[in-house]
Amino acid sequence: MFESLGYLFNGFGIALTAGNLFYCLVGAIAGTLVGILPGLGPIAGIALLIPATFSLDPTAAIIMLAGVYYGAMYGGSTTSILLNVPGETASVITCIDGYQMAQKGRAGQALAICAIGSFIAGSIAIMGMVFLAPPLAEAALAFGPPEYFSLMLCGFVVLSNVTGGSFLKSLMMAVIGLIIGTVGLDPVTGDYRFTFGFTYLLGGIEFVAVAIGLFGIGEVLNNVAQTRELLDRRVIVPRLRDLYPTLDDLRRSIGSILRGTGIGFGVGLVPGPAPVIATYASYMVEKRISNHPDEFGKGAIEGVAGPESANNAACQSAFIPLFVLGIPFAPPTAVLLGALLIHGVAPGPTMLSEHPGVFWGVIASMYIGNFILLVLNLPFVPLFANILRIPKRILLPLVMLFCLTGMFSVNNSLHDIWLMLLFGALGFIMRKWRYEAAPLLLALVLGPKMEVAFRQSLMISHGDFALFLTRPFSCAFLAVTLLFLCLPGIKAAWKGIGRRLFNPEGGE
Amino acid sequence: MKRADAIGGLILFLFGGMVAGLAFRMPLGTFRLPGTGLFPFALGLLLMSLAALFLLSRALASKTDPKNRPPPGEAEIDLRQLLLFFGATLFSLFLLPLLGYPAATFLLLFFLLRTLGIRTWGLLLILSLSVAALSHLFFVEWLKIPLPKGWIGL
Repeated sequence: MFESLGYLFNGFGIALTAGNLFYCLVGAIAGTLVGILPGLGPIAGIALLIPATFSLDPTAAIIMLAGVYYGAMYGGSTTSILLNVPGETASVITCIDGYQMAQKGRAGQALAICAIGSFIAGSIAIMGMVFLAPPLAEAALAFGPPEYFSLMLCGFVVLSNVTGGSFLKSLMMAVIGLIIGTVGLDPVTGDYRFTFGFTYLLGGIEFVAVAIGLFGIGEVLNNVAQTRELLDRRVIVPRLRDLYPTLDDLRRSIGSILRGTGIGFGVGLVPGPAPVIATYASYMVEKRISNHPDEFGKGAIEGVAGPESANNAACQSAFIPLFVLGIPFAPPTAVLLGALLIHGVAPGPTMLSEHPGVFWGVIASMYIGNFILLVLNLPFVPLFANILRIPKRILLPLVMLFCLTGMFSVNNSLHDIWLMLLFGALGFIMRKWRYEAAPLLLALVLGPKMEVAFRQSLMISHGDFALFLTRPFSCAFLAVTLLFLCLPGIKAAWKGIGRRLFNPEGGE
Repeated sequence: MKRADAIGGLILFLFGGMVAGLAFRMPLGTFRLPGTGLFPFALGLLLMSLAALFLLSRALASKTDPKNRPPPGEAEIDLRQLLLFFGATLFSLFLLPLLGYPAATFLLLFFLLRTLGIRTWGLLLILSLSVAALSHLFFVEWLKIPLPKGWIGL
């Protein structure tokens, strides 16, 4: 335990250098803007900024990109509260009570409690990371190809189950992602697959193009397709003096913040869109245990404090599986995995020993980043909120231009832009037809790893599939997979039993 | 069954079939030594099975099933605006190598802003020109990204 603290102090030494501090600040500000701007979420935001990190050393690059991720969580709450439009999906639940508070002239207090809650949650979650990551990395050293294959399979099934919407649709999206991941050179034999004679496809499908396309362009098109009145929605901008929460606000929020932190930290460790699930779970808990549940939906500060703390804690703890197992469980961390690989850092159990500077430097920078965000978000909220005054009809073309130029800068290739626009159109259709994009992106990033693990496992066992069941960790992951595969059926059966028990007439 | 679900399920089924078919032509190997095509072949079959299951589940679901009802409060789509916006973006990619980054950006922004309802010519010109100039300065001059120069040579 004390050893971890020692490493963390070394990490602070790395994170507090002038250069890294600067990139932490840049990441935090960029993340806040990404969270605020409609049409850009953390996934597209991180993907767009990867090219800007090419000239940086890996530590500075990941410090900046991680800052974008957790910065977006702070920024996302601003649009939820002021505009009733979530800046990103993790802030959807904040709209309910946050916007109601704004309607009652308490937007400043809502924003302030978001910033305070996020800071406390982020700080506690980072300490959790410090103590949990090293023992987990040690345990993960025992993982071989069968364990990794089963874990990734488990991740896809759990993610498909919890993303909301149809389980089958999400599962199909994960399979599509895996298929797209097979385009290019076979990672084992080096043969070409699905390249159709195009040299551009030899290197595989550029995941940055898919990420910006599905999440950036798809969202822009979704906004563009809205009617005029939605494009013209107005925003409430709070005054600075309205920003300070009262003692009663703080008293009511502190328990929610701590509970949200616990929920968020736990949810961040398992596969799925952790911040989104964490906010829903926290809101439900707060509503259930509240002494005044009738206030929920009408501007209860607990309904803002809990979920906002939960999404920040989840966002921090989501780094644990990424760094320690090398397996991202959430789409933004999947993009971060791509960034780490671009910078020559392979995350996994050996990351702590091979790249301790990156690991501990990034963790320490998160603490600093959270402090920067607290300082930024309290006094500068009116400034950020003014960005929302720019009409969407001006913002959307700017976001489109930024996506086009940002995409070109990844490989200096026009082909990438075409690919991005193709996935943008696909992302728009998927939104309209309610197909989740997150499983597709995660599967695309993890697909090649999963295939290698699958083929290596079969080679080790001489073609015997029983290997996946005879190794304890692998068997446990497969058991969880099976449970989640059966879950929709169990839920449907449970509902049927309930209906028959309580409504024997069979009516609705 | 909702039309979107039927079309989506069918497209995915056919896509899975196409992937399995193409992968079948690659060396599949054996389970002892899996070949290049085995993994995508299995994925193609899996996608076909899931799509078939999805179509079946939707066909069997009763009309009262919430999944078969249109979502409440679904916003109307301004299809003309969407097609003009996306079409202009695609067209600008053809213009980019010919006219170069600043000119193509100016034209793209001018058209996109007008499509989204900015009608004042002065504002349109100022916005498009200033953003095109600023993005040129930022991306080309400062970040040194080798964006296409086109005939103009900027």
